[in-house]
Amino acid sequence: MDRTRAMEIARRHFLQECGVGLGKIALASLLTDAFTARRAAAAPMPPPADPLAEKQPHFTPKAKAVIHLFMSGAPSQLDLFDYKPKLTEYEGKSIPPEVIGGQRYAFIRSDAAALGPRFKFAKHGRSGAELAEVLPHLAKVVDDLCIIRTVRTDQFNHAPAQIFLNTGAGQPGRPSMGAWVLYGLGAVTRDLPAFVVMSTGAGISGGAANWSSGFLPTHYAGCRFRNQGDPILNVSNPTGVDSRLQRDSLDLVNALNRRRLESEGDPEIASRIASYELAHRLQTSAPELMDLTTETPETLALYGCDPKQPSFARACLLARRMVERGVRFINIYHEGWDAHSDVAGNLKRNCVTTDQASAALLRDLKQRGLLDSTLVIWGGEFGRTPMGETNSALGRSLGRDHHPQAYTMWLAGGGIRPGLTYGQTDELGFHAAENPVHVHDLQATILHCLGLQHERLTFRSSGRDFRLTDVHGKVVQNILA
Amino acid sequence: MRTSAHLSLLIACLVGFGSAGAGLSAPGRTPPTAAAPDFNRDIRPILTGFCFKCHGPDDAQRQAGLRLDERSAGLAVLPTGRRALIPGRAETSELVRRVFAPAGSGREMPPAHVRNPLSEAQKQLLRQWVRTGAKYDIHWAFLPPRAVVLPPVRNNSWSRNPIDRFVLSRLEREGLAPTPEADRATLARRVFLDLIGLPPTPEEAAAFVNDRTADAYEKLVDRLLSSPRYGERWARRWLDLARYADTNGYEKDRPRSVWPYRDWVIRALNRDQPFDQFTIEQLAGDMLPYPTRDQVLATGFHRNTMLNEEGGIDPLEYRFHAMTDRVSVTATTWMGVTLGCAQCHSHKYDPLSQKDYYRFFAYLNNADEPEVEVEQADPDGKRREGMQRIAALEAGLAGRFPAADGRTQAENLELRYRAWLTEQERKTVRWLPLRPTAARANLPLLTIQPDGSLLASGDQTKRDVYDLEFGPEAGAVTAVRIEAIPDERLPKRGPGRVYYEGPHGDFFLSEISLLSRGQPAAWSGASHSFAVGTGAPGAIDGNQQTGWSVNGGQGKPHQAVFTLARPLDPGSAFTLRLLFERYYAAGLGHFRVSATTDGRPVQASPLAPELEAALLLPEGGRTSAQTTALRQAFLAQAPELKTARDEIEKLRAELPQPTTALVFQERPLTNPRPTHIHRRGEFLQPTERVEPGLLASLAPPAGAAPRTRLEFARWLASPANPLIGRVTVNRQWAAFFGRGLVRTTEDFGVQGDPPSHPELLDWLATAFVSRSGANQGARSNSALQLDWSLKRLHRLIVTSAAYRQASRVTPMLAARDPQNRLLARGPRVRLEAELVRDAALQVSSLLSAKGGGPSVFPPQPAGVTAEGTFGALQWKVSEGEDRYRRGLYTFAKRTAPYAMFATFDGPSGEACVARRESSNTPLQALTLLNDAVFVEAARALGQQAAAQNGPDEERAESLFRRVLTRAPTPDERALLVRFVQAQRERLRQGTLNAGALVGAGEGDGVERAAWAAAARSLLNLDEWIVKS
Repeated sequence: MDRTRAMEIARRHFLQECGVGLGKIALASLLTDAFTARRAAAAPMPPPADPLAEKQPHFTPKAKAVIHLFMSGAPSQLDLFDYKPKLTEYEGKSIPPEVIGGQRYAFIRSDAAALGPRFKFAKHGRSGAELAEVLPHLAKVVDDLCIIRTVRTDQFNHAPAQIFLNTGAGQPGRPSMGAWVLYGLGAVTRDLPAFVVMSTGAGISGGAANWSSGFLPTHYAGCRFRNQGDPILNVSNPTGVDSRLQRDSLDLVNALNRRRLESEGDPEIASRIASYELAHRLQTSAPELMDLTTETPETLALYGCDPKQPSFARACLLARRMVERGVRFINIYHEGWDAHSDVAGNLKRNCVTTDQASAALLRDLKQRGLLDSTLVIWGGEFGRTPMGETNSALGRSLGRDHHPQAYTMWLAGGGIRPGLTYGQTDELGFHAAENPVHVHDLQATILHCLGLQHERLTFRSSGRDFRLTDVHGKVVQNILA
Repeated sequence: MRTSAHLSLLIACLVGFGSAGAGLSAPGRTPPTAAAPDFNRDIRPILTGFCFKCHGPDDAQRQAGLRLDERSAGLAVLPTGRRALIPGRAETSELVRRVFAPAGSGREMPPAHVRNPLSEAQKQLLRQWVRTGAKYDIHWAFLPPRAVVLPPVRNNSWSRNPIDRFVLSRLEREGLAPTPEADRATLARRVFLDLIGLPPTPEEAAAFVNDRTADAYEKLVDRLLSSPRYGERWARRWLDLARYADTNGYEKDRPRSVWPYRDWVIRALNRDQPFDQFTIEQLAGDMLPYPTRDQVLATGFHRNTMLNEEGGIDPLEYRFHAMTDRVSVTATTWMGVTLGCAQCHSHKYDPLSQKDYYRFFAYLNNADEPEVEVEQADPDGKRREGMQRIAALEAGLAGRFPAADGRTQAENLELRYRAWLTEQERKTVRWLPLRPTAARANLPLLTIQPDGSLLASGDQTKRDVYDLEFGPEAGAVTAVRIEAIPDERLPKRGPGRVYYEGPHGDFFLSEISLLSRGQPAAWSGASHSFAVGTGAPGAIDGNQQTGWSVNGGQGKPHQAVFTLARPLDPGSAFTLRLLFERYYAAGLGHFRVSATTDGRPVQASPLAPELEAALLLPEGGRTSAQTTALRQAFLAQAPELKTARDEIEKLRAELPQPTTALVFQERPLTNPRPTHIHRRGEFLQPTERVEPGLLASLAPPAGAAPRTRLEFARWLASPANPLIGRVTVNRQWAAFFGRGLVRTTEDFGVQGDPPSHPELLDWLATAFVSRSGANQGARSNSALQLDWSLKRLHRLIVTSAAYRQASRVTPMLAARDPQNRLLARGPRVRLEAELVRDAALQVSSLLSAKGGGPSVFPPQPAGVTAEGTFGALQWKVSEGEDRYRRGLYTFAKRTAPYAMFATFDGPSGEACVARRESSNTPLQALTLLNDAVFVEAARALGQQAAAQNGPDEERAESLFRRVLTRAPTPDERALLVRFVQAQRERLRQGTLNAGALVGAGEGDGVERAAWAAAARSLLNLDEWIVKS
């Protein structure tokens, strides 16, 4: 289906639940009137549809929700997950040119010297997964993870690579994964946006293209939850408007809109009335979501969350609360991993900020029985080079450049096999030696966990049926639970 | 007939939308009987939807050697020995046998695994088609529009112009009657919103409502068409196609100056530039003979592509992405074909090969992309004034020289000057400017200028190497000098070529080496007249990360001197190799090489080479001009004048910079850029080289094919392009009616929708591209000629009876034609994002009438552009009237678009938008309820209502009229009054705080607050944001 058609069907009738709230009865009867008139004309009408109405997946899914912890800037897999002692041997020496092939680099020359792992590694859990010492919290939940060490991307610059991971294309303009998922499955709740985007750390290279609805209807776009001011733009009443005035105003708006609907007969007016009811509900449900006073001190401590301060920890806790309330797809961007210099210092800082909360999120979901139905994804847009980056003119030393050939992400929960380390890189950590997982494969697998076949989830735009995985992608069967 | 038409419509509705197009566009369509099916209407959709993916134009995907998109191929003997199509013999045609093969037989087509079975009716159609001869027709849109006669109609009184004949004839066939004309207030609001994008004031509406002359409406239309607001309203729609934005996109998303292009579009539309010229200037204005500045500015259309400034990108890769964008935008905008599909492989549905794609690409691929200064960009004269002050201060420098040690000022100046001069004379060495015998580079073109200097042009990489060869005439060279020379052809006037990521106009000389007799010569030292970082010594240290660059000194000459450890053997030729390596492209743009044989230590001089030459003359041999220049040079460095010079530099830094714009500039014949086919569309996989050419099978040229971008633009903007008329009029139609006659405004290919009114589309298209010249006039007889005029086309549409119908959706129409494809009623369309805001500012009298100029920053929460965006932009809210400018002047940041626009489906400028969506979401409700812009508008309206005398009923009525143009019904008015009175009561009691609601201001706070609350509600009505 393409956009306008989807919208037209959607608009024809509108959300059945539009009437919930104060105007329920009036609205319901009003709509009955409006539509009875049409039925009286004996015309066949397509079934009522709402762009966000819940839809049947292609098959029974394991996961109902996704939390994507997007470590933007690209963390160094070689210093966190993919231990390569051989690099220490190579330190100061170039990596053989036949390994490097024709790869272009952002900053370094391909003959730059190798850089050994910056941290100690140890095996953890029953699965014996190897992690660096800067991930002490993750080490305790390591048996819940599926660590993929051979993710491969096509892009080696931040913005295109982030957009590629999210949309399957390196140029902006395509729908993001969250938008595809809403298009495929609809929303469980209408009290909150179904696709939420939070960010902590520095700015996000790919910008709004990362959560765009692309050529899909705007309903499917990610909704930014902000750290400053209203979490959702304009969710608060303007200064001086109290709840009674807001209610009176909405009642007036609804009353006038209803008269307009009666005189003009355009079902779109009914949709507008419903949008106002939903907006009003959002004004209640958003503050309720953000109110962390109902969380126990133990939970706050688990995440390391100061409820008053925006932080990665708070975003993770909010993500859990969103999943509980039916939010379908959540992005948390933590930008700041772009360690062209002092990769060790960068990782220490970022791990202090993110390690505890990432692990806490898994524990918390698990103890509430939500992990089985929630897919958690952790990782960046590419990896970092086995070669070090040093540039006195730019003030850089002991850093690493961008590396697209093989890097690490982990998945946990909904539909993913726990306690698995998947894929093997070569001894220098340069290429995948076995079981490469291309970004399109990862996307296909994520959709699979949600009950969607990536080849069937298509949308007609500009004369072509597009999909998230372009014309590529294979579900990585070996990592499925 | 009527019954069957109605029946087919019912069936179309029942089976869903897939075949609804055919059903609606084929009134009275015959059920499969003896007649041959219509190929384009009945057969092509089946072949496209079910067969072409594997049996279409794309060689790479073809199965079983069968191609069905061409008749000759379909008739050919297959590798199996069978034939897919045997005209007249359906039962032996393999195609028919296979589509009727039982499911599960393994022989059925389409194969079971694609899960896309044909319906029984579709199978029957295919059989009937083969039985009746398997005739093919060219896809309707690829044929030129047909000359159409106006159809007869039964109702002879309804039509106002030819459009109506087509609309009515269709309605009559469907058994429908048009809706009566909308009431005058509604019509006024509709036509104001459509033509100028703003609602009428109550006075403007009343003037029309009360004008009882016969041509009152036409007069109104003409007045609106000549309003400067017209160009603003229609420019925004064009800017969607042009993917206009004020930032570069991608990670850094830095601001760019391309608004002069936006203003050009507004001007062009306001003066109704014929659409063919409008097209030619945007695609190739730079190539017109003696182009005006405006014609060059117009080429900004294709400079709206994004520019990736992320450190470490490959600039050629992102230029390639910009080019693929240009190709698909050109095809979408002027041909309505989805050519972008053929970037990676031949088109699966339309007859567009991958080679076609890259030949089309080649037309656009031969331009350089400079940033140019816009003339007369000193509207308030501030720059000229500042320059005059600087000149005066410079002339007065000598007068500010201090007295010292008992010497008068003049004596002291003379003493210091003499000492300086002697020192300069002693230091100056004789430089021999060298003219290279050859100059080569990895990719840039080095051209030896008449004066022996070198100019670099063309494409650049992050590692550019210039090799310059010199003959033996310089002798026993002891040092070489590179003069970096500013040049207006370079970014920021050079001397470097940096145009992204790094400081524009800078360069970075990483290493310099001199090869003589094949051996590198050793350097002993290096110096520079100006540098940042290590400077020239960094270019001989063997470390490519250090080098000579001059950021801060753009637009000025600089030099560096490199001294050899041993003089060259006299008589040896040598090669100078300059390496420019950086994480961005950083070549030197204009420079000259000189050599000296002087044996003394040599340093780079801050003096210009002409002054150095003067210093070598005996003092008596210098001209007075040379002496003056030397004195000026002394003053320019004298430590005693530092404070005075600092003042001048401060003034210089504060000079308003000339406005710049991004344009195309065709490359010189000496340096064409080759175009290749790229395997799988990938930048890194160029294969066969191709020459420019038109889309071979879609639009073969009538005469000689265009060879250049200009000739291509002229072809594109001519009736020889079968699509331009239809595509252009259809986009205009969609703007007025909310959907095009072809719904898929961006796709007229076989996957696009068929037109709802094919004859009307062809008639409009023909009229649009016809010139009222004598020849054509004679040929087309009574047909209308619009001479490519958009204003005349718009006038024709809005003066039609079809447009003037009321838009009420009766239950019958809702059932028969919910999308109003048949046009039995007037349009109902939600306003575009910018217009929602414009309308709020207009009705509250806040809107500024100022047009053009740099983009502005109306209020929005600072976090929108600052929080979580990489290139965090501090959204500093504009002051004064710039707070209240029309939406198209709002600063458009690609990675974080203006929030209110994004919420109302505004584009991000990252991709061409031929058809905006019109969604209806709770976030839109929150915006209208709570966003600062609308709160401010409501307050202003509240203030007006509070200031009005009279009973609440009257005030409610005039507020309602101001916002919604029409008068309220008594019931609506009563609701509004009751609301105001209830709020007034609460305000008086103090349960609502007027101060908090509306702040300080003139008049009674309670009244202002009560009416502001009422206005806020009106600004949230569906009617308010819907053109109806």
